[in-house]
Amino acid sequence: MLDLYAVKTQIDDMVADERRVQEDFRAVLELALAEYRRWVPEWEILAQKIDKSRTSWLLPGLAEGLGGGSALPERPTEISIAATDGSQIFPDRHEVSSCFLINIGYILLHYGTGEKPLMNSKPTLYYREEEVFEEWGGRRIFINRELVGLKRGLMEFTELADLALAASAEGHRTLALSDGTLILWNLEGKPQDFKEAYLKATLAAMEGLRQARLPVAGYISQPGSQELINSLKLGLCPLEVADCDRCPYQAENQLGFSADEIGVLQGDLWCGHSLPCSPLEGLNDAVLLRQVLSPGQRTPLFRSSSKILNEYGPHRVYYFYLHVGAEIGRVEVPEWVAIDPELLALVHACLCDQAEKGEGYPVALSEAHERAVVRGADRDTFYRFLRDTFVKNDIQTSVSTKSFKKRYAGI
Amino acid sequence: MARVDTVKESKPGPLSRFMPDKAPLRDEFGSERDYAGEIVESSTTELIAEARELHGAPSFGQFIRVEVEMPVVGIVFNVFTHSIEPNRRPTAYGKTEEELRLEQPQIFELLRTEFQALVIGYLDGGAPVQILPPQPARIHSFVHLCADEEIQAFTRTDDYLRRILNTAKIPTDELLIAVLRHTLRAHAHSRTYLVRVGRELSRLMGDDYDRLSSVIRRVAN
Repeated sequence: MLDLYAVKTQIDDMVADERRVQEDFRAVLELALAEYRRWVPEWEILAQKIDKSRTSWLLPGLAEGLGGGSALPERPTEISIAATDGSQIFPDRHEVSSCFLINIGYILLHYGTGEKPLMNSKPTLYYREEEVFEEWGGRRIFINRELVGLKRGLMEFTELADLALAASAEGHRTLALSDGTLILWNLEGKPQDFKEAYLKATLAAMEGLRQARLPVAGYISQPGSQELINSLKLGLCPLEVADCDRCPYQAENQLGFSADEIGVLQGDLWCGHSLPCSPLEGLNDAVLLRQVLSPGQRTPLFRSSSKILNEYGPHRVYYFYLHVGAEIGRVEVPEWVAIDPELLALVHACLCDQAEKGEGYPVALSEAHERAVVRGADRDTFYRFLRDTFVKNDIQTSVSTKSFKKRYAGI
Repeated sequence: MARVDTVKESKPGPLSRFMPDKAPLRDEFGSERDYAGEIVESSTTELIAEARELHGAPSFGQFIRVEVEMPVVGIVFNVFTHSIEPNRRPTAYGKTEEELRLEQPQIFELLRTEFQALVIGYLDGGAPVQILPPQPARIHSFVHLCADEEIQAFTRTDDYLRRILNTAKIPTDELLIAVLRHTLRAHAHSRTYLVRVGRELSRLMGDDYDRLSSVIRRVAN
């Protein structure tokens, strides 16, 4: 039970804080925009500084420089868009069986031909011993939410590749759209064998697409990424080559400095900020680019420097931001799409068209979500059906008292 | 070699793995299934069927037959097209249907046409019985349109007219007119048939001359 009265005062505090933040925000945005414009003609200098510096944050590779937007290319009249999305019922140890379910939604929309689209979903139930227990890094573990989520993400991508390849084999010119990032950063820190298995499957799917020259793009709505802002922060750093670990503006690195030296360093600071790069803190790329791009335009390409991409081989991920009308989205493509002007233009044109058709969000992705989604009511029906089937077949099971209590709370 | 080719042709395409497992549109003998709809709600007095194709429901007033052991006969009194997802409503796009089919193909997958039929009788060993059937038609049974010969056979007597007139919450007179226009055609616009139906209606609606004459006038023209 939620005590709404208690929440109310906290919401008031939150709104008051939010207002203060918004007032400061304008000044920060102005600064970011001025910095961005300053670097446009001199982007090569910034690119060199990016290459040489060592920062604690991710920096973009300026693959096409900086600058205004590239205009919207024309979409081919006939094109098919493939998309997938996934949803799951997590294993619940309070239930009759600790099985789990992954539901994948498949969408293949054909434009310009009037052909019937494919809109479907397929559920897979995992219940066998070897499916609910996995062994990674020498440890046998009962499958948990995180593992199910990762497995689902992998299936979404490999199934997308298969769907796009099948569509192409049936003579459709196809673009594959993936929901979210193509960068498997969440594999970092996982056991080596796990990381390798997931990377191998993903990259094999990617390779299949590359060989068929079938473009694939990941679309991220409301991106919170700050790589471009980070490059402007680097631009603010007075040092020729930045090294955040040895940043002289950090008090802990000023041991042995004379008072004069510290005074000089403080002269570099802007309006009482603690570090030369901190004035741009808290801003993200999309907010800045909203001021730079017009609807339909994309930014130049950036090369992602996520560590995991070192293992991507020819599929290293590039990205650009795209003004789709309702928002600034982030679009990620593998290198072989990025360096192929025809495929890149196709991704650009189709994503804008998709977002327009979907009133702000790519229609193929939202339909894939609609197909994939497992709602609370579906989950309840699934477990009821599961229990009934167990009972009918006279299989001994037990539901935990916690789960029972959740459903029937007495007074 | 020829054999190999035929095998190849019947092989499902690469996309078939992603397709829904739907009943084939052709039966095992290769002829097209010609049903108009499939029952999704059924009671003794009424049934609702999903049309096989969007906007493909039988017309208002048309006779339908449900393919079950004891075929149920009904007349369509309502056709409606709606979104299949309760939380998604169709919105206006300002485009023609042709344009929508080319550029927004997904919307046609999210709409269904359904039709409601009033049960007026059944066939017992092929013989028409104008009484409600002992058991309702089963859910998922196929609904077929009645051919003119079937309509003619079923309307050899006119007792079903009372059933239409006595049913509440349907556009009674309009349904009566639409039904009679179908039966008249099935009876090859026979004058004898028209006179017979006119007599029956005057018996049923005798106390309301204006209503009766309006119905008869609209059936005949």
